[in-house]
Amino acid sequence: MFLAPALLVYAGLTAYPVLRTIHDSFFTIADMDAATFVGFDHFQEVFRDPTFWAAARNTAIWSLLAPLLDVVTGLLLALCLYARVPYARFLRVAWFTPVLLSYVVVGILWVWIYDYDWGIVNVALRALGLGAWAQAWLSDPRLALGAVMLTHLWKWAGFNMVVCLAALHSLPSEVLEAAELDNCGWFAKLVYVIVPMLRPTLVNLFVLAFIGKMKVFDLVFIMTDGGPLWATETVSTYVYKRAFNWNTFDLGYPSAIAVVWFVVVVAFVLLFNRLLQQKERLEY
Amino acid sequence: MAIIVLYTVYSALPFAWVGTLSLRSTSEISAAHFAWPEVWHWEKFRVAWVDSHFASYFWNSTLVVSAAVAIVTLLGAAAAHGLARYDFPGNRLIYFILFSSIVFPPQILLISLFQVLVGYNLYNSLIGLTLVYVSLQLPLTVYLLEGFFARIPQDLFDAAKIDRYSELAIFFRIVLPVGMPAIATTVILNFIQLWNEFLFAVVLISDDESSTLPVGIRHFMGDYFQDIGMLATGMMIAVLPVVIVYAFFSERLIQGMTAGAVK
Repeated sequence: MFLAPALLVYAGLTAYPVLRTIHDSFFTIADMDAATFVGFDHFQEVFRDPTFWAAARNTAIWSLLAPLLDVVTGLLLALCLYARVPYARFLRVAWFTPVLLSYVVVGILWVWIYDYDWGIVNVALRALGLGAWAQAWLSDPRLALGAVMLTHLWKWAGFNMVVCLAALHSLPSEVLEAAELDNCGWFAKLVYVIVPMLRPTLVNLFVLAFIGKMKVFDLVFIMTDGGPLWATETVSTYVYKRAFNWNTFDLGYPSAIAVVWFVVVVAFVLLFNRLLQQKERLEY
Repeated sequence: MAIIVLYTVYSALPFAWVGTLSLRSTSEISAAHFAWPEVWHWEKFRVAWVDSHFASYFWNSTLVVSAAVAIVTLLGAAAAHGLARYDFPGNRLIYFILFSSIVFPPQILLISLFQVLVGYNLYNSLIGLTLVYVSLQLPLTVYLLEGFFARIPQDLFDAAKIDRYSELAIFFRIVLPVGMPAIATTVILNFIQLWNEFLFAVVLISDDESSTLPVGIRHFMGDYFQDIGMLATGMMIAVLPVVIVYAFFSERLIQGMTAGAVK
């Protein structure tokens, strides 16, 4: 049967680990062979853990704000290309390239860009006579999360752009021409014609970005390691730290965090699905 | 117009800047961080390749990623064919279960995969990492290929049956060749995603000798934090294969990326 090998891999390396993590979350696992059953203790602890709440708060802010920014930026860039600005071919490549870079490269690069002494942000501010605005972008707890989010936007805007562009090209051109004939201004055209027609794609992009942000790990790990003072800690980095970096020697507690977050993500996805299906029904 | 220029500066300049850094020595860089390379130090690529571990990181990445992509393509294509062509009870259920794991947060797998691999002595081994990569990319591969395979006309299969092709022959001699465009798309997409993969690599590999490029760069950064010039050269080594793939197959790649998101 054609499905067997794939299902075997799936069962061994996806389904079994998920179940094992759920199982582990009820135990304290100080070393590989000795696990003690602790019931729901870990879960109670998770909800009392201030660091978990900080991480959850940061991840929530990120997941709610960033997808909007991603999609809006992507749509605007796509519209520029769709309107055939000069050098569109070059611009498409320039705007898309960040998508291809690995988080490690992106992270190190932006740590340099935000460097207090010679990072281009501060150098440019000083050159403009705004030296007072120069900041230690990644070590100020009030700014760090925003700075990392901006880097994430830098990487993902190009992806949203190519998807929006593909969707724009698949729109029936008659509709846009009709809007043109009706002397519709470009802003009105955008709000009343283009956005409604692209809605399924935009919503999809939003949900994809939302799921992506709920999992953010690499960029934070490279750029700030969750610091300063947990200002950029995300749930993913916190689970990693508790499992592999802290000297707590317990794989059970991070498993419990992972299970809690798994439930949260799945709940959100189901919620989105429901909301979207209802709207879709309203429309037709 | 000004906004377009500004956005292009924001989007393209950082990477171009790393490009210049990769060709300048660290002392030149400390003297002036934003200058055009006066002497083009191409030899830095040779130094990074020979004197530090970038060659071994590069080959580890190449080995793991190409093996994983080959396996996941074959398994994924077989599964997609099974789901697209055969009607059996539970077909949609299996599809749904496979597909739903795309949204799983990785932590739910991470800790227990670590335990499983330690249990099978595959921790710190490239084989272990390859297997994990296969399982990571499997849902996306099946999802993309199933959509394409389902649109292959049934007539082709009926004709093959009349010619007494076996089920396996149908898969290898009809589905794979006809599905080549979609398969190429998933290969490119999987290649880029795995080439850049960091989280599982950093957890499942601890030896420097077995590190893939993203983890290796991270090691290098830990050891030689000040050596900006060399770090930039290493980053370019990691990025170049992806850029080359993109240069040759940009249309396919973008097709693959958009296939899931456009409705």
